[in-house]
Amino acid sequence: MPVRTPHFPDLLFGPAERLRRWEDALMGLLAAHGYRELHPSLVLRDTVPDGALRFFDGDELVALRWDFTMALAGLLARRFPEPPERVSYAGAVFRRPVQPWEAVERFEVGCERITTEGQSSTEADVELARLLMAIPGVLGLKSAILHMGNAALVRRPLEAEGLSPELAAEVVAALSRRAPHRVAQALEGHPSAARLSAHAQALLSELDGPASLGALRVSPYAELLQEEVDHMDRALQALLPILPPNLELRVDLADVAGLDFYTGPTLRLWAPGAQQELAAGGRYDRLFPGLGRPWKAAGFCVRLSRLLDLAETRPDLFEQP
Amino acid sequence: MNAPAILIAFPKGRLGDELVPLLAGTPLALDAQALKSRVLRIPTATPGVSALLLKGADLPRYVAAGVASLGIVGSDTLDEMDMDLLELADLGFGACRLSLCALAGVSLDELRAKPHLRLATKFPRATEAWLSREGLTAELVPLSSSAELAPLLGLADAIVDLVQTGGTLKAHGLVETAILGRSSARLVAGRGAYLSEPRRIRPLAEALIAALNG
Repeated sequence: MPVRTPHFPDLLFGPAERLRRWEDALMGLLAAHGYRELHPSLVLRDTVPDGALRFFDGDELVALRWDFTMALAGLLARRFPEPPERVSYAGAVFRRPVQPWEAVERFEVGCERITTEGQSSTEADVELARLLMAIPGVLGLKSAILHMGNAALVRRPLEAEGLSPELAAEVVAALSRRAPHRVAQALEGHPSAARLSAHAQALLSELDGPASLGALRVSPYAELLQEEVDHMDRALQALLPILPPNLELRVDLADVAGLDFYTGPTLRLWAPGAQQELAAGGRYDRLFPGLGRPWKAAGFCVRLSRLLDLAETRPDLFEQP
Repeated sequence: MNAPAILIAFPKGRLGDELVPLLAGTPLALDAQALKSRVLRIPTATPGVSALLLKGADLPRYVAAGVASLGIVGSDTLDEMDMDLLELADLGFGACRLSLCALAGVSLDELRAKPHLRLATKFPRATEAWLSREGLTAELVPLSSSAELAPLLGLADAIVDLVQTGGTLKAHGLVETAILGRSSARLVAGRGAYLSEPRRIRPLAEALIAALNG
């Protein structure tokens, strides 16, 4: 059934208790792995993007916190000469919904893993994936699916072919629809059409385990993407032996959600039958350099509001506490 | 609680008329007795999988909201609605053109030269995109059916509508003056259903593609 929530939900006793319990359990898990909480202000004064809830404070246009990662990035870049390696957060964000049934006020718990020059990104990515793998158990989900993708698999070939931003956006939209025929249609007449269409076919091969990486061997960009494929392969080798029961790990080569933000591996957590992903994250190495800091970062966010909705509409997906 | 039954949204009307015979004899064939009745939820030959018969314009909403896991709908409808759906295959059937049509004897140049062009259509998004590409402006007259009447009765100078054989146009003294795009049936899936239950949904999607695209 579709999940329908009021845009500014009031949580009654059951959901309020569940939110508190999940928030505590997730923050406890993160704290046990060395993540320390930062709590950026609910009011943002420097960035006021479209989609945020905006209002005037006197003559000054301000916004409610619309995304923890962006709020934390500003805070870290301003206040820390050297970044803390592990940061966690919990609270609400306020963002106008893309889908009509989504709430404006959403509760989230998440973490950021920040590395500096000389530190291994692969280890940080695997650390985050391992944490995400533990989350279904913490939340009492009976089973879950973790999709692993990599934004560079799409981004790098598009950059290498020098596609205009408009055409690149069309190709990404077609990939987001998982529509290879739309990719071919968008590229009709472009010199890279045959190569990028073949690559799209490879990306859209069946979602599955490590064998999916093999699909990229026939891509015209196999050489260009060797480093990314090796990175994913190493991550899979590290994660598969420790996969918890009732969690399935799938490779999703065509994951293009957030492609303008993510630069490397991406992770998305689903529960069978859920209509929306329950947690998502990935590597976004361009964020801090854009704020004048030479740091790399990755992180994920658990979407507690969606989980609360799911617990109401599909209680059968959860263990009884 | 067992996993809920899987619903597939099938279109009523022109596309549906082409679809039902193509499914006969496949695992997703629709129950003939139920089809003769007025019910809109029809069992298929696969237990646990039912079809919903829906108007094309409503169908994407059912799939996007996760009520139906899969659906078949014309690409013209998808382009107008721009909903968050996966579009797994171009099934090829139901092919038609989205065309600018005017009374016989009225040329495209004459339409271009009109200081105030009025176009009647139920495809405003595709029409606006074409106008933008052509550097034209026009007043759009929104209609939901029987657009062929609009030029005849002076409601509009021309129409933008789907043309399959051209029979309806001819019957109203209209001709195609420009082709804006092409449409065909597409297999769509709900993002959530496809990504969260791939083992249940993918085999059905593949069965539909095999039955309809083979």
